[in-house]
Amino acid sequence: MTTTVERPALATPRKVAPAKDGRKLIRSQVRAGWTLLAPALLHSGVFIVIPVVAVLVLSLTDYSFGDTWAWVGFQNYSDLFRDVDFQASLWHTVLYALVVIPISMAISLAVAIGLNQKIKALGFFRTAFYIPTVTATVAVATIWLWIYNPGSGLANGFLALFGFAPNRWLADPATALPSLMVVGIWQGLGTKIIIYLAALQGVSRDLLESAELDGANRWQKFRNVTWPAIGPVQFFVLITSIVGTFQVFDLVYVMTQGGPGSETRVLVMDIYQNAFQDLKLGYASAETVIMMVVIALFIGVGRLLQKADVND
Amino acid sequence: MRRIVGLSLMAAALSVVVSSCGNGVIDKSTDGVPPAEATGTLRVLIPSFPTSTKGREAFQKVVDDFHKTYPKMKVEPDFATYKNLNEKMSTSIAAGIPYDVMVTGVGWVQPFASKRIFEDLGKYGVTPDVIKDKSVAALIPAATYDNKLYAYPLVADARAVALRKSAFIEAGLDPNKPPTSLAELKVAAEKLTKRDSHGNITRSGFDLDSATSFRQSFTTFLASTGTPLYVGGEPNFNNKAGLDTLLWIKSMINNVQPYGQTNAAGTSLVLTGEAAMGIVKAAVDCSEDKGIGKKNCDDLKFFRFNSGKEIEYVGGDLASIGSRSRHKEAAWSFIQSLTKPASLDAIAKLNKKIPAYKDAANSPQAKSNPLSKFVADGLVYAVNENEVPSNWLEMRGNFDIQLTQAVLGQKDPAKVLNNLAGQSR
Repeated sequence: MTTTVERPALATPRKVAPAKDGRKLIRSQVRAGWTLLAPALLHSGVFIVIPVVAVLVLSLTDYSFGDTWAWVGFQNYSDLFRDVDFQASLWHTVLYALVVIPISMAISLAVAIGLNQKIKALGFFRTAFYIPTVTATVAVATIWLWIYNPGSGLANGFLALFGFAPNRWLADPATALPSLMVVGIWQGLGTKIIIYLAALQGVSRDLLESAELDGANRWQKFRNVTWPAIGPVQFFVLITSIVGTFQVFDLVYVMTQGGPGSETRVLVMDIYQNAFQDLKLGYASAETVIMMVVIALFIGVGRLLQKADVND
Repeated sequence: MRRIVGLSLMAAALSVVVSSCGNGVIDKSTDGVPPAEATGTLRVLIPSFPTSTKGREAFQKVVDDFHKTYPKMKVEPDFATYKNLNEKMSTSIAAGIPYDVMVTGVGWVQPFASKRIFEDLGKYGVTPDVIKDKSVAALIPAATYDNKLYAYPLVADARAVALRKSAFIEAGLDPNKPPTSLAELKVAAEKLTKRDSHGNITRSGFDLDSATSFRQSFTTFLASTGTPLYVGGEPNFNNKAGLDTLLWIKSMINNVQPYGQTNAAGTSLVLTGEAAMGIVKAAVDCSEDKGIGKKNCDDLKFFRFNSGKEIEYVGGDLASIGSRSRHKEAAWSFIQSLTKPASLDAIAKLNKKIPAYKDAANSPQAKSNPLSKFVADGLVYAVNENEVPSNWLEMRGNFDIQLTQAVLGQKDPAKVLNNLAGQSR
């Protein structure tokens, strides 16, 4: 017995959009793709593209919220390079990033490796390390303000146990920025630890066992198996850390307001000051453009370092 | 064709989203409309009322009074602080929905008037000459720009000096002969400073009330030598008087008071006993339950700086109308409600300041405590930054940073003053 299967009538051939790799998408797929992309595109357009274009345009003007404004070309940029507050802010931001990023990444990786072992109260430690990340920066900063209080703070109390003289921490130009760095490192650990932990759990057990069978010790297993395996995650953590540290603001705003003098003034603080306190929006926009360029440069350097590490 | 239709639909959707976000924010103008029929929202930016229940109740009384004239207008207050005032104003201007009534402080009016953000109150019959009969003289220059009045004074925030009689007697000083000149103050402050065995200051000899910024104290001490900070918008501090004043502040910090000293409540240190002498604000609560108590109050003596000129630093709250407001007439009516004596008394009490009406010395606030009475009587000695340049808002920050750098020895004081003078435009 034979069964005849009636073939459905072929639909009218549709126009297809050629894809670069030779595959073809039918129009309904193209439409569905754009429809699904639309919310993200709309969001990016309204909250990223328009502000970036606005900042670029404003940076070429002397707009200061008044009735009148004028095109000033690159005057804001040339003024910025003579502005000692901007120079100090840029230097403090770069210094903050150079200290906070590597130290926080190293500590996070070490803690993540520790939390990846079979130890007691693992859940408690994971939660404890993540708590600073989910706590509002203002609350964190307020607690650290008390810790650094020269009169009754915990930091000086701790020093006193060892017979050291009290320090003025945030009120001393020499220790203000390092004090902020400590808070920045501490606060940023949680997120990095979680990411590293996820990456460490994804390292191939087979490879680790093979290395062990080959007689590799702990360090050799880490250096030759674990380290390359978490390479992409390292790069992700590096990029997010660069962007995060360059955008540090709330911590500084609550704890020092950029002082004493301008010892803890960072780029975003300077931009805020110029835009919303001094009302120089054009000038602040030029500063923002420079900050974007500097972040891009740092990310570029990070990418080069990452490539060099992979090629090793 | 279909692509064009699709794009058009997307653009239309976007415009609907954007326009709906802004719908209802920008009202139709009510200027020229009879007050009883005017509808819309009057947006008020005001740091003069605390966000506490008492503050809100006092503000509501002003609104209730305003509603007698404009019954259908809604009032939307923004209880800002002086810290975020500029931020609120600038973002509202950038968003195209500026406030209708803006309350600012000394030093704000001229820069905003020059940018044409504030309305000339002369249009409502209030000029510098008219206000002389209604308000404390001390705040009129701060509300005037180009011989026009751009703000109506609400309250005066004055500063005096206080000493602890017991501390003076303990140090062998006569509390009835307070030191008033810079030189005398330093000598007395050094005698009054107490230290522990490590040399750390445990009680400051003099509180400059400058935890992180020396702008106001520099202005005050400089003025006490008879030298105003600015004259006609031109810097008047890059001279011998300015340098002597800055060097004097430098010699006081970490000598009679640690840099950055403050307490959590923000109370003047001489009132809490953390300093033997120092700058105080415009009121002291002598009650036993909430204040410092009668015994402490009786231990205080108030006086004014005098290094050649007796002075009292006076700031204050000043109410203006936004030049881009669509409810200017309603805004003026609101300011009239805000400046009624009962409203000003309430604001003064809530903020521990002095009402800025003519007879401030006989106000309920002045009669309520000895410090308010002292500063109200001293309003005739008022000084402040004087005739500031148009970039004063920028200069405030510059003063804060650079004076600190000079005081902490990071920069040469003379160069700092010259630099600040060069930056004043």
